[in-house]
Amino acid sequence: MKKRDKDVCGCSIEDLLNENIEKGETKLCEVSKNDIELYVEPDAEKVSYEFYKKKHTDGLPIIPPTEGRVRKFIEFSGLNKDDLVAVLPPRFGRATIQKIAVNSVMAGCISQFMPVIQHSIKAISHEKFNLPGVNATTHPVSICTILNGPIGAEIGINSGTGCLGPGYMANATIGRAIRLCLINIAGAVTGIGDHASMGSPSKYSFCFGEAENENPWDPLHTERGFKVDDSTVTMIALDSPHNVNDHRSKTAEDLIDTIIHTASVAGCNNSHVPGEILVIMSPEHAKTISGDGWSREDVKEYFHENALVPVELGDRGGRKLDKKWIKNGNVSITRKPEDVVLVVAGGPGRHTMICHGFGTSSESVTELLKLKDGTAAQSVDDFKNK
Amino acid sequence: MIIKFKDRKTKETDMRINIIEKEVMDPLGESEVNKIELSLILQKPDKIVYLDNTKPNTDIILDTIKESLNIDSIDVQKPAGASATEEQIQEAKKGDVVILALGDCGSCTTWVILDATRLEKEGKPTICICTHKFTDYAHSLAKAQGAEDLRIIEIEHPIAGLKEDEVEEKTEKILPEVKKMLNIHS
Repeated sequence: MKKRDKDVCGCSIEDLLNENIEKGETKLCEVSKNDIELYVEPDAEKVSYEFYKKKHTDGLPIIPPTEGRVRKFIEFSGLNKDDLVAVLPPRFGRATIQKIAVNSVMAGCISQFMPVIQHSIKAISHEKFNLPGVNATTHPVSICTILNGPIGAEIGINSGTGCLGPGYMANATIGRAIRLCLINIAGAVTGIGDHASMGSPSKYSFCFGEAENENPWDPLHTERGFKVDDSTVTMIALDSPHNVNDHRSKTAEDLIDTIIHTASVAGCNNSHVPGEILVIMSPEHAKTISGDGWSREDVKEYFHENALVPVELGDRGGRKLDKKWIKNGNVSITRKPEDVVLVVAGGPGRHTMICHGFGTSSESVTELLKLKDGTAAQSVDDFKNK
Repeated sequence: MIIKFKDRKTKETDMRINIIEKEVMDPLGESEVNKIELSLILQKPDKIVYLDNTKPNTDIILDTIKESLNIDSIDVQKPAGASATEEQIQEAKKGDVVILALGDCGSCTTWVILDATRLEKEGKPTICICTHKFTDYAHSLAKAQGAEDLRIIEIEHPIAGLKEDEVEEKTEKILPEVKKMLNIHS
């Protein structure tokens, strides 16, 4: 038999079968405590429960983040495992590529989602997003990811029927990966770093793509200075979606009035600290409005001018209503037309969704999916190859 | 696990198989902490800045303290769920001590503590007032910021939704601690 190091078994199967047995030994290998070591996947149920008990999850089962699984995600990041993407408050945890990958594995993502997730994390760390406030607030604000550009379609993001869920892996798990990063890296653990009085179903996952092919106007990311074939993530802090059911309006004005009426309510942050609001317009509604000759800017301008809440109702929120927002006894729920973040998504049907924002305290951020050298990625495969 | 192994020559021996579950990786990010040296309050201040985030009834808390102390003061208002502006921070630095209120929710507590740590970094001593439902969080946030000993006074929760005399009553209870921190011994 070959000479072996003290602790290292160098046995091949042939050694074991041909040599030791010939010698009549009862133990196949002289050196190792065991003849064969078999590595098996961890028990997902057990790991899920252990992680849950340590407050590392959102309460749902997780995929155990083994080194092998995590490595695949790191390989798809285009970066090194220790590269720092952001430092996330309130715990000021270091969001390295490896830590983002671990949480993304746990969320049930596939490795091709990694570039979207790491860019989303970078976007929410921007000062104007106000992650310290968004994470810790008693308000049920969640963080929404909107994908634009070709990479969304490449990774299977749903922008059509049921885009807000359920049913699509990218929509369900990318938002969840971001939430798990917030819990484990930022420290937004319920009751510890996340004080939302009641929380929100949107905190499990809130991610969708814009239906650019169904959009009569230019898509969101082009409005923010990116090219139509760039891929971007837009991160925006939002209330849960509220439906606007309008099957009967035949004119742009009537239809937008229904949307405005749904949005102009007391009790939202916009009514006392005006700010952004997301309008997710169905392709059918968008077609009716654009068919009357309204541009995207026309919609935003009209919305801003007419989405008003009486001041006595508006001034019941957390912060005292600033007088500068009051006009003729009303508060405009947006500060300017640009605060109306308008996207087209969803399937057949005459519904639109509105989501109030976090108010003056948070601004959405759009981040270009770019490679390490700064060039815009054309495909997720670019991240793996370069 | 041991299995009996028999080769072609029918000799039998044991094969010891160790089945090992792959390890899982830690999802927690390491905290980035840079220690902040707190500014000391060595003597009774000549001027106090009251930094009010305009949460409901915060003005009553601060007015009650102000009346009791009878020290020259400046009133500055700041956002509740976001940071103070550069202008508001500079205005706040005009006092010897800054009293920040009120942390009675998640985002407002966050920004009371973060604005206070910023002022401390810039050499201005601070006192934060948070309700007792949020002081654990306030202390953990201060610690994460490297300011474990940040001066945080606990007032009974809730403050919002109360009548004026109820807020005054709760404020009276914290006055001794405010005075002690300000080196007022009378």
